[in-house]
Amino acid sequence: MDEKPAQAILTMPSSADREAIFSRVRGALAPLHERAPMPDYTTELAVLRQMMGNRDAFTIFSERLVRVNGIALTEIAALVARLREGKWLQGYCDPVLWPMLAPHFGADFTVETTYDRKRVDDYAFGITRAAGAIAETGTIILSDATTSRRLGALTPWVHVAVVERAKIYSDLPQAVAALGSDSNVIWVTGPSKTADVEGILIEGVHGPGVQIALVV
Amino acid sequence: MLNTERKPITGKRVQLMATCLCDAFYDDVAAATVQILEYLGVEVVFPEGQTCCGQPAFNGGDWVASRKVVRHTVKTFAGDEPVVVPSGSCAAMMFHGAVLEFEKENDLGEVEALGRRTWELGDFIFNGLGVKTWPGRFEATVALHRACHTRGTKSSPAATALLSSIEGVKIVEFGEGEQCCGFGGTFSVTFPNISAGMGALKLEHIRAVKPDVLVSGDMSCMMHLGGMAQQEGKPIKTMHVAQVLRDALKNAGLIKP
Amino acid sequence: MRFQQIDQFSAELKADTRAAVYDGSKKGHEKRTKLLYDEFPDPDRLRHIAGEVKQHVVENLDTYLPQVEAKLKANGVIVHWAATAEAANEAVLGIMRARGATKMVKAKTMVSEETELAHFLEKHGMEALETDLGEFIVQIDHDHPSHIVKPIIHKNRREIATSFEKNGLGAYNDDPQTITRRARNFLRHKYLEADVGLTGANFVSAESGRIVLVTNEGNSRFCLAATKCHIAMIGIEKIVPRDYDLGLFLNLLARSGTAQDLTVYTEFISGPKSPAQPDGPEEMHVIFVDNGRTEVLASECRDILRCIRCGACLNVCPVYRQASGHAYRSVYPGPVGAVLSPLLMKEKFPQKADLPKASSLCGACNEVCPVNIPIPDLLLRLRNRAKEENVPSPGTPPMGAWALLASQPTAWRASLFGGKVMNYLPTKLLPIPALRAWEAKRALPAWRGGEFRAWMKNRPKQS
Ligand code: SF4
Repeated sequence: MDEKPAQAILTMPSSADREAIFSRVRGALAPLHERAPMPDYTTELAVLRQMMGNRDAFTIFSERLVRVNGIALTEIAALVARLREGKWLQGYCDPVLWPMLAPHFGADFTVETTYDRKRVDDYAFGITRAAGAIAETGTIILSDATTSRRLGALTPWVHVAVVERAKIYSDLPQAVAALGSDSNVIWVTGPSKTADVEGILIEGVHGPGVQIALVV
Repeated sequence: MLNTERKPITGKRVQLMATCLCDAFYDDVAAATVQILEYLGVEVVFPEGQTCCGQPAFNGGDWVASRKVVRHTVKTFAGDEPVVVPSGSCAAMMFHGAVLEFEKENDLGEVEALGRRTWELGDFIFNGLGVKTWPGRFEATVALHRACHTRGTKSSPAATALLSSIEGVKIVEFGEGEQCCGFGGTFSVTFPNISAGMGALKLEHIRAVKPDVLVSGDMSCMMHLGGMAQQEGKPIKTMHVAQVLRDALKNAGLIKP
Repeated sequence: MRFQQIDQFSAELKADTRAAVYDGSKKGHEKRTKLLYDEFPDPDRLRHIAGEVKQHVVENLDTYLPQVEAKLKANGVIVHWAATAEAANEAVLGIMRARGATKMVKAKTMVSEETELAHFLEKHGMEALETDLGEFIVQIDHDHPSHIVKPIIHKNRREIATSFEKNGLGAYNDDPQTITRRARNFLRHKYLEADVGLTGANFVSAESGRIVLVTNEGNSRFCLAATKCHIAMIGIEKIVPRDYDLGLFLNLLARSGTAQDLTVYTEFISGPKSPAQPDGPEEMHVIFVDNGRTEVLASECRDILRCIRCGACLNVCPVYRQASGHAYRSVYPGPVGAVLSPLLMKEKFPQKADLPKASSLCGACNEVCPVNIPIPDLLLRLRNRAKEENVPSPGTPPMGAWALLASQPTAWRASLFGGKVMNYLPTKLLPIPALRAWEAKRALPAWRGGEFRAWMKNRPKQS
């Protein structure tokens, strides 16, 4: 290929291809006498209403999180005990959260509030704030605005998301409606997993092998 | 896409489309169809000019050849009585396949009209005539194979309901019931290894539940599965739904033997 | 006697490969069905609506494409258009060169398989590393994916352990847990060293320009947390009209594809990272790829463009289960591939015109498809196209003479009676290849031509 100067690519990406594609699309659709209309429907159809019944969002959320092998906790002490039990003693914590959590962590823990990507293997756990949660699926919602570091929530073996009880949405359509203007929102439903090798489920592929929600 | 809306039944006269398989191999299936319809008080007319529904060429991609046969069929089955077919596959050819290959033809309307009055036998009895239970007696454990062309139609539930209402019939479910038997028309001869592989799996599932008889609304599936079983030296008894319905009547003396 | 290529492939397939493909597909299908039917009163309704939404998009791409482009630009995304695979690859290379980048980490994207991006970049001195575990194994093995969702469904753990050992990823160990940990430890440093993260997209919302990406492993998130530049390669059909529609599609995709209520990581990207966020891409490119899609759009098979690549039709397909994905000689195997792959060949359609024939037309694919694509109808249309273009088709009996016979009742009746001869002649001697192919696997019933007609005339009256 010809070497294209950097600027040319950034300012004028392939306008000939754009025209070619657009005109082929128009040409392909021109012979259609009518176009398929957009159906009028409600996403309520896809909500697991029966499963949820009249139960409160937190109860459903914890139940569904367990279903995807996540852990729901409500006490900081319980979190600390879990981490100790798993011998996950070194980790990263969102600086905003640390003042609230620090009193509960013993001297056996090493917790850093800055994340150094060169030491990715040093963090056994990462504690970050969630933007909310989805009860129906046991999902934790992370966003650029609330997550102090994308890497801090992803690379450690254990991820702890601190979720405010009031921000648990009931179902997917509600959570979609609440996406807002953040440039990156990610829904996390249980630990990272694969079944690529002979269909056998293995957790902790690239992301956390343990996903904890601390609901406050 | 499935065009399964039917003209409501008026009168009690039908045209029988016997299918080329019954014409060539399975005369008793066509006869049983006539006998059960007549038992229900339906007058059965057999248009002598009938040949085949056109499906082999349609599936083979030779739509020019297929349309020729469909046009012949449309002519042969002129009139406005329901056309009843003891095969989900040939029925689907009339109300779905033929419509697809005539999309751009001038005589599409006539083909669609025939499609709208064509019924698979079980669907006709159960939904067309509204006969929801079947009299008589038939002592057998039955494995009912759902022919693929009845997916998404009312034929399979109709056959299941009718058969299970017969005194003595015990329907047994078998594994992977949603899977195809592997017949597939010319597929069975152009992809013999895959076709036989599919058939072997189906037979394995069927044999596992030890039925007295394997029943289907389509003789093509039975020809393939029965033929495989025979080739293996372990034949299984196969019957068409119509034969079971007819034999139930016979066993109870409701029709002459 | 010559049979179809796919049948030949199936006949020669290793028994344990067939078993692996069969078991994996069957499990996937059964879990999916259970989940859908346990949870929803009427799952078919969802499929039908989703199909209508996507058909609407496909038939209104002329409106949606400019709309989505404008939204993406407003979100700070640089938008490229690539008419061909080559153009798409060149665009990626161009972006990398402009940034002085040499290392890419790749999430799983089918469109980059279509364009063979990784090969292309490697040829131009770039590193392009697959990060999805299955795709990574395919890459180090110089193999091809055989399933669009489960790329290594055809491999067993022993083969994987062997290739890990060969590639310096530790001594032979075929424990799936160990294999996964080794990949984790190897790949995490690769992400952090990479300059560019490449992904596809599962959906793009025309309303907001939001790109939706789903993975279970978290590899695409890692690409977008560790690198400074995000390139998304996206087929032009990936659009949904509104964010609202995602509430339906995400439900269907996870359940149909991997039998989950929701995929583990569902990421909504509407541009480069937020300024206050330390991790993630500062620059984001979207490359919209045509590569034959507009030809599909112009064809009568445009319904296939609804496809959301869930893989459910592969899992349920009896032919796929017998033949495995590689039999299809294409990036897209199984029922969806049997339609899409020949069409994407454009004028080289005849080379893959045999794919649509590899089906008993059982319709199981249509029954499971989350966007209700009438795949059997599309296969039939392509068979007709092959016939019209005179593509040879081994083993298919010629239909002309038959059609003549079947439209002449007198000749038909004569042959019904004449067919009796088959009962007396060993069919092996008959010059009809289709008959011999039949008899190789099955006994033929006795010929009873004309018997019914005679009975009908003389039958005893019931009353
Ligand atoms: S055709 Fe339908 S079932 Fe097959 S991969 Fe596409 S969306 Fe899934």
